[in-house]
Amino acid sequence: MKNKSLFAALILVFLAALVAMPHLSGRFTVYLAMRFMILGIFAVGYNLLLGQTGLLSFGHGAFYAAGAYGMGFFWLHLSPHPLLGIGAGVAAAAVLALLIGFFCVRHTEIYFAMLTLAFGMMVFSLIWNAREITGGDDGLVGIMRDPVTFFGLGKIPIGKDAQYYYLVLFFFVLSVWVAHRIRISPFGLVLSGIRENARRTEFAGVPVRNYRLAVFVLSGAFAGLAGALEAMLQSNARPFMAHWTHSADPVLVSLLGGLHSLTGPLAGSLLFVAMREIVQRFTENWMLWFGIVLLIIILGFRGGVVGVVQNLVLRRRAEGEG
Amino acid sequence: MGKVLLETRGLSNHFGKICTADNLDLTIEERVLTSIIGPNGAGKSTLINLLTGYLPVQAGRIFFQGKEITRLPVHKRVRQGICRSFQIVNVFPQLSVSRNVMIPILALTGRSWRPFANIASEKDAHGEMEAILARVGLSAERDTLANALSHGDQRLLEVGVALAARPTLLFLDEPTAGMNPVERSRLLEDIRRLSREGRTTFVVVEHDMDVVFALSERIIVLHRGVVIGDGPPEEIRNDKTVKEVYLGEDVSDLFRYDEGDETK
Repeated sequence: MKNKSLFAALILVFLAALVAMPHLSGRFTVYLAMRFMILGIFAVGYNLLLGQTGLLSFGHGAFYAAGAYGMGFFWLHLSPHPLLGIGAGVAAAAVLALLIGFFCVRHTEIYFAMLTLAFGMMVFSLIWNAREITGGDDGLVGIMRDPVTFFGLGKIPIGKDAQYYYLVLFFFVLSVWVAHRIRISPFGLVLSGIRENARRTEFAGVPVRNYRLAVFVLSGAFAGLAGALEAMLQSNARPFMAHWTHSADPVLVSLLGGLHSLTGPLAGSLLFVAMREIVQRFTENWMLWFGIVLLIIILGFRGGVVGVVQNLVLRRRAEGEG
Repeated sequence: MGKVLLETRGLSNHFGKICTADNLDLTIEERVLTSIIGPNGAGKSTLINLLTGYLPVQAGRIFFQGKEITRLPVHKRVRQGICRSFQIVNVFPQLSVSRNVMIPILALTGRSWRPFANIASEKDAHGEMEAILARVGLSAERDTLANALSHGDQRLLEVGVALAARPTLLFLDEPTAGMNPVERSRLLEDIRRLSREGRTTFVVVEHDMDVVFALSERIIVLHRGVVIGDGPPEEIRNDKTVKEVYLGEDVSDLFRYDEGDETK
């Protein structure tokens, strides 16, 4: 009980820090905080698939890109309204995830992983080669951030980074809350049943394939939201968003932070963004140093950063009682 | 003869040249506690796997309550009322005992498709879960992780998860394997009681002849995919073909031991 209220207090402090950030720190920190939140949305959604259902996908970059390009095309051809654009990005990602997922969820483990990788790289090549539509290797550039309007009932400007920050924060909190609700729902329990024992879950009367597809689409929609937000942050959508190296980001982040909690991928995202910034000041070989950290975590601390902290708290409490 | 619950017509299965089900015409009757016995490789597990959808049917047809289920996938058969337990412990290892039982309950009541509901507020499902844990005697372990249970308790949980699917017909594949005598007699007593309650018809695959003859109302003897004996225990006990074929040795000693055991 004591731990629970401590945890709630920590969340409140963290939230307060995020809300106050644009007023207290420089533009670059605000930019990094947005990178963290966008990666966090990507990773939290992705972890519904990996940590909760036990499916390893190497193709979620495709849905991230679908979100970014969906948002970009909507802005370019239909309407500059940011919320509608984000909605279009999420919808595009979900539809793509439904199409790709339909084939992938028929398989598991390595076959599932390789299929997602193959589909992801197909999407990357399509974006890369369809230059007339997608801008090829240049991507879609010059996406502007128009004010958020509420159909004549007022508008909020998001042109400056310190303003856009709050839109990202809003979607970040929304995403974490939704992921939390899913984790504690009956749907989430069935997903963990599939992770633990897919065969037995079938004998519990569950159409396992449909559940896999549902969570695949859900995690794809999260990826699409992250992609749409990044497109607005960077004013462009790039083909490398769909590349498999980008698909690996949420996997690495989840491993770093810990697979089996909601806080794991969040802590992982924070560390990932912060470490990259710090390490890159000293050396070009950021991936080398990240690799070493990941190696230590995988060999010694399977629960990730969050797992290590949980163990410390448990030990402290055991000592206190003993 | 009771009402026919399940019927097979010409059910066959081959693994390469090995025949594990040869043109089987079987019926399972409602409320009759049935055992399937036979030497290793007789096709007992194959039969269960075919009937529950774990293996695809190569030839023949299966009917459940008059409806054909030959090609139905596993989860649809479960929804019609056919469930099973497994020979090897096959639960959800990293979930608590109560969560293990909750999964089939939520799935079958159609409450598992809601991503924004909270498990904690599923009052009905919790009540049903508690009732099932009480039936298999695991109420005290509800918060224990399944992989932290003793082997015997894991087997009980295995049966509990199967019962939670509210089966009309439940196949138990060697339910007492690896149990100590105390756990074994407790589980058998449970099966007998549940069978008398009449909601579920049990079909048990067992190696232990003591168990089979003490428990069953009907015994089906399989050998190389063929039924070589089918009837009440007394009949099977005295059946010549069964005696000759079963284990390929004189098993009258085994049966006599069993009789002596019963009179104790």
